Order: sequence, then C-alpha cells, then structure tokens
Amino acid sequence: MKPVVFLSAGALFGFLLSQARATDYAAIHGMFTLTDLHLFGVIGVAIATAAAGLAWLRRGASTALNGERINVSPKPYHKAIFAGGLVFGVGWALSGACPGTALAQLGEGKLYALATVLGVLFGTWLRQRVAAPAVKPAQAS
Amino acid sequence: METWPFWLAGLGIGAFVPLFALTTGKALGISSGYSEMCALAKPAGAERWKLWFALGLPLGGLASALIGGGPHASASSPEMASALGLNGAAQLALLALGGAFIGFGARMAGGCTSGHSIVGVAQGAKSSLVATAGFMVGGFAATWIAVLLAGGAQ
Repeated sequence: MKPVVFLSAGALFGFLLSQARATDYAAIHGMFTLTDLHLFGVIGVAIATAAAGLAWLRRGASTALNGERINVSPKPYHKAIFAGGLVFGVGWALSGACPGTALAQLGEGKLYALATVLGVLFGTWLRQRVAAPAVKPAQAS
Repeated sequence: METWPFWLAGLGIGAFVPLFALTTGKALGISSGYSEMCALAKPAGAERWKLWFALGLPLGGLASALIGGGPHASASSPEMASALGLNGAAQLALLALGGAFIGFGARMAGGCTSGHSIVGVAQGAKSSLVATAGFMVGGFAATWIAVLLAGGAQ
C-alpha cells in the first residue's frame, strides 16, 4: 500500500488522540492522581468498541480491502513483559505522553514534546542495542 | 481547547482499530514506528509503513489544534509547571527521561498503549493484559513519587 494511506491513517489517529485529550499532560496526571477520570472513560469505551469491531471482523472478513490477509493476532507472551510495562508506565507518567501522543503533541504546537520524542528514540535504540542477541527478531532486510 | 466528550473519543479510537485492519490488513501499533526511525539508514522492510503512520500523527494533532482555534506554539508545559512546579530546562530533562523510559519499556514489553492496551486488551490477550497492568502500576507509582518529591521541594 502507498505511504500516503498510512500517513493519512496516522493523521486521523493523531486527531483522535488529541480530541481524546490523551495529548494533555494534565489529563494523564489527573488519571494517575485519580482527580480526572476522563481518560479512563476514553480507554474503557475504546477497548469495548475495538473488541466488538474485531469480533465482527473475525466473523465477516479474513481479507483486507487491499487484498492482504488481516493479521491482528495477539502478541506472544514472554517473561519481560511486566517489567517492560512498569518501565513504560514510569515514562508515561513522567512525560505525560506515550509514543503516539508525543508525536501528536508536536503537531498541536507543544514544541517541548520534541524532548519526549528524542527520549523515546533513545530508549528504543538503547533497548534494541542491549537486547539485540536475545529479543530482537530477525531483520527482513 | 474544546474537545470531544470521553465516549465519542473512545468510540473513535475503538472503531479505528477494526477499520484500519479492514483497510490495510494490519494491527495498529505505534511504538515500533520508533524502531523504524532508528533503522532509517537500512533498506525499507515490511514494517516501513509504521514510519509513515508515525509521521502522520503530528498532522492530526495540527488539525485538531486548528479546529480548536490554534495551534499555539509553546516551548514549555504550563500543566507540568502547575502539577510538579517544574519549568524550563528541568521540564525538558524530565520529558526526555520519561521518553527514554517509554522507548526502553515499550521494546521490552513488545508494544505500547495502542498495540497492547487497546488492540491486545480488546482481544483478551494475556501478553497485553500483563503489559497494561505494568503500564498502570508503573504510572501510578511514578506519579505519586513525583508528587511527593515535588511537594517536599516546595
């Protein structure tokens, strides 16, 4: 598929994240201090909607509109997941952002999110470097 | 900025997942897009779409800000200043540190709040339920520690 399709899909998703206030430090902080439950509501409705939609998709379609096989199989479980989740959660709280919202923040004019984005890039690179032999899947290239 | 109510935003994000799968055959996931940015020097593989998706995100943020009367460029976060009493360089340092934790943790856990907490949890996947539990425990712990430290410093 053409890059412009994915660029457009990313733009739509960034718009949704912004409208959900997932790009708002105060909303993330309020979620973790239990003073603003807005994002819990967003996440709950999103999970329920996605679950219904994926169930409908599984019954009705196995091939995507572009002819590709639909592949949304669950990610495999491994022992580092919980520890990795903890590390991620600390970062989520400290920066008030996640990988997607940090990029959407940049578009909103929150230029300080560049620090978050560069941090995510560094963390990604570091983990892949230290874990290269054990975890990194074989590169296609 | 006036934004959508929680249920409408939740419906939009939730509906995006099956519609994206129906259109492209692929599962939504964002953190691995950063791996693609790290691998820009290498020839494009099957995952290069994640780079394009990630590059679209700021465009959506811009569109959202535009309909809200913006965007208003800001070099520091007033929300972070009021929550933790941090400004300027200290803010940027904490954002970068948090970002590094996000990137490291996402690669350890094999996904982030989109791929695990929305797509994976919606399928009841064990890996995603465990990852999301970790996200929440880590987030609550770090927030309360930060609030206590900030309160003690003021």
